[in-house]
Amino acid sequence: MSEPKRLHPIAMILSAFKTIRQSIFSLLPIIILAVGNSAWFYIMMGAVVFIVLIILISVLTWLRFTYQLEDDQIRIEQGIFIRKKRTISKHRIQSIDLSQNILHRLLGLTKVQIETAGSDHKIDASLHAVTMEEGKLVHDQLKYKRQFVTEEDITDDQEQEQTNELKYPSETISPKALLLAGSTSGSFGIILGLFGLAFSEVETFIPDQLYNQASSWLFSQALQVLIVLSIITLIILWAMGIVLTVIQHWNFTITRYEKELFITRGLLEKKQSTIPLKRIQAVGIKESIIRQPLGLATLYVEIASGEVGQSTETHTLLYPLIRKQKVEEFLNKLLPEYEYKQINWTNLPKRALPYYLFRMMIFPFLALIPVAIYFSQWILAPLIVTVLAGLLGYFQYKTIGYKIEGENLFIQNRLLSRDTVLVKHRRLQSFQKKQHILHRKQQLATLDTAILNKFVGRHLIVRELELDDVDRIADWYSYRDK
Amino acid sequence: MREQPSERIAKDAVKAWQLTAHLYAIIPLILGIAGLIVSNYFDFINHWIGIGLLIFSVVEWSITALIIPKIRWKRWRYQIYDQEIYIQHGIIIVTRTVVPMIRVQHVDTEQGPILKKYGLSTLQISTAATKHEIPALMEEEAADLRDQISKLARVEQDDV
Repeated sequence: MSEPKRLHPIAMILSAFKTIRQSIFSLLPIIILAVGNSAWFYIMMGAVVFIVLIILISVLTWLRFTYQLEDDQIRIEQGIFIRKKRTISKHRIQSIDLSQNILHRLLGLTKVQIETAGSDHKIDASLHAVTMEEGKLVHDQLKYKRQFVTEEDITDDQEQEQTNELKYPSETISPKALLLAGSTSGSFGIILGLFGLAFSEVETFIPDQLYNQASSWLFSQALQVLIVLSIITLIILWAMGIVLTVIQHWNFTITRYEKELFITRGLLEKKQSTIPLKRIQAVGIKESIIRQPLGLATLYVEIASGEVGQSTETHTLLYPLIRKQKVEEFLNKLLPEYEYKQINWTNLPKRALPYYLFRMMIFPFLALIPVAIYFSQWILAPLIVTVLAGLLGYFQYKTIGYKIEGENLFIQNRLLSRDTVLVKHRRLQSFQKKQHILHRKQQLATLDTAILNKFVGRHLIVRELELDDVDRIADWYSYRDK
Repeated sequence: MREQPSERIAKDAVKAWQLTAHLYAIIPLILGIAGLIVSNYFDFINHWIGIGLLIFSVVEWSITALIIPKIRWKRWRYQIYDQEIYIQHGIIIVTRTVVPMIRVQHVDTEQGPILKKYGLSTLQISTAATKHEIPALMEEEAADLRDQISKLARVEQDDV
C-alpha cells in the first residue's frame, strides 16, 4: 500500500510540448499569412491565449493524474472533468516497459508503459514521466517474476549479474551490422517521401522571388549538372537513412527470459519492449531484394496485441539484421520453440509456372499493346517492364514452397522480398483449399490459412500447389480423430 | 479435405437467392425503361443507350436469378464434426474451409427480411482472425447448430 502519487512535474512540460507540436503545423500557415497584416496583433493574441490554454490544461491534467501502488495492483485516477479510475491487477499485466526520450534521459526520468493481455489498447496505461527509481519500483512491484537486471544490480552484485548473463541468452547487434542494416534498408524511399513532404511545406514560406530565381537557375543548368545534383541528393538521403537506422536500433539487444523476449534499443531514445512468448503467433524471416544476394535477413514476429497506433508496422522486429546462415543458431538460442532449417522444401509443380508468369505479366503486357501501336519509338520501356515482371514471376515460382516438421508449418513466399514464415499448428486459425476449373483439371490447389496479428489477421497464401500437397497439409491440420 | 462435406443447406435457399436477384434487377430495369422513355422526348439522347441498358439488365437478371442460385446451392455443403467445422462453397473457385472448434471465438445466427420470409437464417462463425458463414439454414437447425458449436467450442483455449 502506498499513497497516491503524481507524475514528475516534467510531465506537464512534456504534454504541453506534445500538444503544441501537434497543432503547430496547422497554425503556422495562418501565422505566416498574417505577418505584416493588420490582423497580426489579433492573431498573436489568439496564439498567446491558445498557448496559455494548453499550458493550463497540461497543469490541470498533471494535477488530476495520480497513481497508487497497492499490493498486487496499480490504481490510476485521471481526467479533468470526467474522472476515470482504473485498477489494473498484477495478474492481468503482460508487460511493463520503461522507455526514455532525450528529455527523459537528461533529467533521469522514464516513461512506464503497462500493457495488459486484452486486445483493447485502451485498457493499457502509461505513466509519462516518473523518476528512474520510481519507474523501477513500479516495475518490480507489479512484475517481480522476472529478474530485471538494473544498473544498480551490476554495481551491487557483480556475481549475480554474471549468473543472470549465463542463465538468460541474449544477442546484441554490432555497430558494423547496424551500418549494413541501414545501408541496405531501402528506407531512403520513405525519407524521400518525407523530404518531399517537408519541402512542399517549406516551399510556401520561401519568398516567391528567391524561389523563382533558384528554379530558373536550376532549369538553365545542363542536363549533366542536374543528374549530378540528383545523385548527390539521393546519396544524402541514403546516408540519412543509415543514420536513422543506427539511431533507432543502436545497441539493439534481445534477451530471452523464461516466458518472454525482452528488447532494448535506441541511441537518443531508449526503448524497451517485452514480447510475451504466449503472444507470438509466427516468426518470419524477411530477405529484401537488396539483402537476399548478400545473404542477409531481418527477423520479425507476428504478435497478437493491441498496441494499435504505436506504429504502422503490422509485425514486430525481432532482430534488425542477421546472416541467413545464422538464423538457425539465433532461433535455437533465443526461441528454441521455433526450429528452422533451410532444407527439405517442397516447391511448386512445373504446371504452376504459367499461372505465375500470367499473373505478373498480364498488366504490363496489356500496357505494352497500345504503346506498341501508338508510340512505337517508346516500345523499349514497357518491354523491359514486361520482361522484369516475367522474371519476378519466375522467381516467385522458384521461391515459393512449404514444409511440415512436427507441429510447425513453414511457408516460404515472395511478393518482392523473400518471406519465410514459421508457424505452429495451434496458431493457425483456419484452413482453406481453393480451386477453380483449370486447377481442378490440372490437380492444383491454392492454400489459404490465417494467423492472428496486431490488427485483424494475416493470410498465408500459397497459390497453385500440388493438390496432393494441399490435401497432405489439410490432413496435418485437421483436428478430426484419425 | 479430399471428400466434400456431407450436409446440404436448405432447399429454400434457392428461392431466397432468386428473390434477392429479382429485387436487385429492378433498379437497372427501371433505368433502362427510363432511358427509352427519355430518348423518345429528347433527340440528343440515343435510344440505343436505353435498349442496351435494358438488354444488359435482362441478361444479368436471368443469370443471377435462374442460373447462379441453383449452382450455388448445389455447391454449398457443410459438415460439423466434434473437432472442426468443414465448409465448401464457391461457383467458379471452389473453396473448402476447415475451422477447428477450439479456434472458434463466437457463433451468431442472422436473419434478414428475405430469409425470414422463408424461415431461414444464416450461421456466422468467427475466429480471432477470420469469419465464416453457412447461409440459409432452416431456422431451428441454425439455432441448434449455433448452440452445438458454441458448446463444442467451449474447450479451454490458449490465450487467443
